[in-house]
Amino acid sequence: MRTLVRGVLTGAGYLRQSWSLVLLASALVGAPSPVTAEDLRYELPAAGSYALPVIDRVSDYEMLGADNRRGPLLDLAAGQCAVVSFVYLSCTDARGCPLALATLRRLDRLLADRDDLADRVRLVTVSFDPERDRPPQLASLRRHMDPRADWRFVTAASPTELRPVLRDYGQDAVPLLTSNGAFLGRMRHVAKVFLIDSEGAVRNIYSSGLMDHRLLLRDLETLLLTDAATPRP
Amino acid sequence: MDHSRRVWIGLLVGLLGLAGPSAADETCQSPYIPKLTGQEDFIYIWTVGIEGLGDGSDKVVTVGVNPERSDFGKVVSSVSVGGRHEAHHGGLSDDRRHFWVGGLDDSRIYIMDLATDPARPRLVRTIEDFTEKSGGVVGPHGFYALPGRMLISALSNAADGGGRTAMVEYNNDGEYIRTIWMPEGAPYGYDARIKAELNRMLTSSFTGRNNYMRKLSELLGDAEAMKNFGNTMVVWDYHARKPLQILEVPGAPLEIRWALRPEHEYAFTSTALTSKLWGIFRKDDGTFEAVELADIGDPSKVPLPVDISLSADDRFLFVNSFLDGMVRVFDVVNPRAPKVVYERKIGPQVNMVSQSWDGKRLYFTSSLLANWDGTGGDDAQFLKAYTWDGKTLEPLFELDFRSEKLGRPHMMRFGQIDFYRGRVSEGGAGG
Repeated sequence: MRTLVRGVLTGAGYLRQSWSLVLLASALVGAPSPVTAEDLRYELPAAGSYALPVIDRVSDYEMLGADNRRGPLLDLAAGQCAVVSFVYLSCTDARGCPLALATLRRLDRLLADRDDLADRVRLVTVSFDPERDRPPQLASLRRHMDPRADWRFVTAASPTELRPVLRDYGQDAVPLLTSNGAFLGRMRHVAKVFLIDSEGAVRNIYSSGLMDHRLLLRDLETLLLTDAATPRP
Repeated sequence: MDHSRRVWIGLLVGLLGLAGPSAADETCQSPYIPKLTGQEDFIYIWTVGIEGLGDGSDKVVTVGVNPERSDFGKVVSSVSVGGRHEAHHGGLSDDRRHFWVGGLDDSRIYIMDLATDPARPRLVRTIEDFTEKSGGVVGPHGFYALPGRMLISALSNAADGGGRTAMVEYNNDGEYIRTIWMPEGAPYGYDARIKAELNRMLTSSFTGRNNYMRKLSELLGDAEAMKNFGNTMVVWDYHARKPLQILEVPGAPLEIRWALRPEHEYAFTSTALTSKLWGIFRKDDGTFEAVELADIGDPSKVPLPVDISLSADDRFLFVNSFLDGMVRVFDVVNPRAPKVVYERKIGPQVNMVSQSWDGKRLYFTSSLLANWDGTGGDDAQFLKAYTWDGKTLEPLFELDFRSEKLGRPHMMRFGQIDFYRGRVSEGGAGG
């Protein structure tokens, strides 16, 4: 399986392989995919049985949406929280942006089926490649992802506008260059997904190994179903 | 590549759920740190100051280790933190921009900026209230990067200086988050290591400040004090930070190394006082068992095993023992039946060992603790570099930290100029 996927990553013609197209078609129409997430190799802790302490605080930022309109990145009401992932569309690191996108897509489906959570959680995908990932590209991404819950796609007007956002979240993104200084089209980054509460507090950060939609949902349950009963000072 | 294809390739890869191997660092670090896969340019060495030698202060020493550079085998820079604090361990932040180092004596923590000028680290923050903020934790020992955070495993406590201790989390800005005390029945601490795919963390156990700040010869003669060492490891639900199992591993299990391949569900440790190699294996029911695997040297001579290093392919485990200055290389392809395939005397004493991601270069430093290091001619203080071809270690260079007036070299971490500049060097880089 790994070899086949490397083929998808590196061989342009590989998308023509029929099994890939089955996957594409299945995902496009929302039919059950023949490929599902790996089984968890551990038991999820019970919701509310553990703490999600405040790790950091972030500000809200004016960003550019897939609809080409400016608006706040988070824009959370009291009692809401956000799951924020930073990606760039040219990423080919299977453990990076593709995994973050797929995780949010699976989470989006889970949330859509949860009346108690769906209107209290906002998913936000932020591009950290604002020069190439413009609103039309994000709109295309949104169409492909076909959100069922509240999932927004935003970018920045410029790298300058993006810089303080990345700094505030602690999201690294370094353009990769050849020895001659030419841009390779890729960025070095640590894939991170952030769980943010309505006060702008970072309550968890997910990365390789524990970036999983079921774990995220359990944290959302813990945060939204137990935090409300325990007002913070 | 057109946009639609870019999006769909990404989606496909993600939908396939290919988490793949965690992005491990040079074989032994947090899975959350991007790895340096090419030739490292520098080694940053957290060094214990010696009174009367140079400025006498603890310092981070940067040594050039790239044979292609003119500073190969030379001290490039050093940054002193002022005074002696029992410099010991340290670790990189999850983006490799900062090197956190700690002092076991007064529990100070120093954060060095590596990214601005990788050849010249810069002290950017000092945490002086670790014990106060953490609720009485003493001896910040292990520094293990989590996403956006640093997990600090400690050794002791302020109430009695004994071995009851905790893990403490800080965010990457150096702000305190929380304290997680070790559980009843396993109060000691030392190392904390995560296998993210299993959502499991292992911790090990050493001894408290009352012991680690004493002279070794004096301590070994104090039977009552020698009872105050840890004999346990703890299996944790990492995500929930909840202890699940206490494993009996007698004789102070120190460094922990999880196997790096995702499908390998085991870890190794060595016990300092009993000179044994142990394996911690996941069982079919999801619980873990601790299994004694092999002697390290002659346990009756107490060689005092210290640092260990596992190759990225989970094949070779390098095991240092302090008092005989030896490294023994175990073939651990069959993790339940390790075999010694090579051994070499590195010096009169040896403590830490670090290897490059490709396993071709290994670096050794000499110091354990200021009061435990040898005396006279046995107190050689060095960095020694070797190449490894899978069969033998061949000397590359060595640096005498006494003649350089630096101190006692301890913890090592790697740096690479291209990594911070975004240049892709041979061996590739994540992205």
